[in-house]
Amino acid sequence: MNRLLPILWTAAALAQNPRQIIEEAQRRQRSISQTYEGTLQVIDGKNRIAEKRWRYDRIGSFGDSKAVLRFTAPAEVKGVALLVYNHKDRSSDQWMWTPALQRDRRIALQDRSTRFFGTDFSFEDLEERDVDQFEYKLLGEDAIDGHACWKLESKPVKTKSSQYTHSYFWVRKDIYAFVQVEGFKTERLARRIHYRNYQNIKNIWTARTFEVHDLSRNSRTILKLEKLDYNIPMRDDDFTLQALRRGS
Amino acid sequence: MRALLPFLASVAAAQTFQYRGFLETRGTLYPQSAANDTGRAVGEAILRWEGSWQANSSVKFHGSFDARTDTHHQAERNVRLDWQDRSLRRPALSLRRASVVWNRGPITVEAGKQFIRWGKADILNPTDRFAPRDYLSVTDNDFLGVTAARVTVEKGGNTLDAVSAPRFTPSRTPLLSQRWAVLPAQLENIPLIDEGSRLPGRTQFGLRWNHVGRGWEHALVFYDGFHHLPLFNGELQPRPFALRFHRYHPHLRLYGGDLAVPLKWFTVKSETAWFTSKTTTADEFLLWVVQLERTHGEWVFVGGYAGETVTARRSPIGFTPDRGLARAFLGRAGYTIDPRRGLAFEAAIRQYGHGVWVKSEYSQELTSSLRLSASLTMIRGRDTDFLGQFHRNSHGLFAIRYSF
Repeated sequence: MNRLLPILWTAAALAQNPRQIIEEAQRRQRSISQTYEGTLQVIDGKNRIAEKRWRYDRIGSFGDSKAVLRFTAPAEVKGVALLVYNHKDRSSDQWMWTPALQRDRRIALQDRSTRFFGTDFSFEDLEERDVDQFEYKLLGEDAIDGHACWKLESKPVKTKSSQYTHSYFWVRKDIYAFVQVEGFKTERLARRIHYRNYQNIKNIWTARTFEVHDLSRNSRTILKLEKLDYNIPMRDDDFTLQALRRGS
Repeated sequence: MRALLPFLASVAAAQTFQYRGFLETRGTLYPQSAANDTGRAVGEAILRWEGSWQANSSVKFHGSFDARTDTHHQAERNVRLDWQDRSLRRPALSLRRASVVWNRGPITVEAGKQFIRWGKADILNPTDRFAPRDYLSVTDNDFLGVTAARVTVEKGGNTLDAVSAPRFTPSRTPLLSQRWAVLPAQLENIPLIDEGSRLPGRTQFGLRWNHVGRGWEHALVFYDGFHHLPLFNGELQPRPFALRFHRYHPHLRLYGGDLAVPLKWFTVKSETAWFTSKTTTADEFLLWVVQLERTHGEWVFVGGYAGETVTARRSPIGFTPDRGLARAFLGRAGYTIDPRRGLAFEAAIRQYGHGVWVKSEYSQELTSSLRLSASLTMIRGRDTDFLGQFHRNSHGLFAIRYSF
């Protein structure tokens, strides 16, 4: 009982402070690197399914990380890659590499709301959200998929450029993991991301399935994470524009 | 031996072989015949294979091959593996890329036949000097690889690129007997004797420094070598009466730069190059492009103006598609209908409307490996204009591509 008390105290204290809930969620997600192979199903409004695959590698963690996402299928987009530099104090920098053109192109901030290569992820959805770039408000408690959650609202700070005027987050109380995120453009719900199939991988609770719903197009993308691993050795040199070119 | 096992395991894990490619068949229909070409239908087939092998964490090999044939004799009929890309016709079998890449820390070295793309603009790139093209069909062109050694040092936001190309690769120009070679009216009844190309032997050299700043990028470029687009030199021979001519590639020293600045509503991209030459018959000129780029919903818009200022006019006769797109408004728009279908529009309109090129393309994914595309290209204008001279070459193109 004595051991449980500090945990209960901490949980009670965190429940009062939305920022601390997000900080704790991010602390528990923190790793020096991450890798997975993603299988995507893009399901359009007429239930037609297109399949894609990508490989994702990240070095660093929230606010100070670099990631490379490289398509491995279908054949016509094989080799197309996205390099993301996440920053603590501002929006990420992103470049896309197209092997057919042998050129990289910087993704401008005003273009981040567009869909990423036919999926329902926008370019902005592929960047990490650092806690300092948003202001948070605790809206209450809710249950998603049978799990007790905190429901929070986030609004981007002035220095953060975002397509979403505000977002709602549902964070599982038991493992401090995101279960759902809804992004709004003014009063209109634009995109809902639902996280499922949580597994504990190297002490990090990770959703193995993401479902992104673009409500304006009534289109969904289901991303399943395979060969997921954390804290494996990676080289900083593999997260540069030259590395994008070398990898093609 | 036990101590070696982890090392051998890591080497084996680092070794990866990847490939991709496609088989494409294309049909092009021209509603009008041309003075030197009565053919109105062209069929083509191309098989492209690109492979790479990561030998260890530092070394990677790249290879790419093309096999092609067509109905219009733009591709050679004799089957031999060509690695130089210097022939007038497209080789039936060609080595597009054969290079080795070595990387350690911030340094990357690539040696062999490779593709080098410089510049930030989309439709016209004045600083893209190691990028010769196959212009057998002028408006539907493709890049050719160059034989070079390239050293890149990337540190923070700065990248220094040094390229040395000991073997010159020219752009492939339209075949004289075909519609994309529009001859002046004065030459209509004169037999032509093509004496081929006189290719330079000296090494070409280029330097590019690129800086990625907070939200913007710029680059400075220097190039010393030869223009991959040819000039023509000819003389009349009295008996038998004919015009003998050859292609030559003028010396080129270029100073240039590019810039990309994302603003609130659009991204501004600009690219400028000053082309100077020791060749007494070559023009010296400034070529520049300013374009705005914006993505909105499913639309991508690129629009701008390409300008030219001649600093030394020597009035050479040449094939100059880069200058042919200058003094023109350039635009491109793309619309993604859904994840399987897309539309694209491209246009170049010369300043005084003397030449207009408009292309619209529809593409549709049939299966995850099969894509169909259909395009219509309209060309209008005066005979004296670079674009306008192809006014009989408006065409429709239908292609089906199997990717693997």
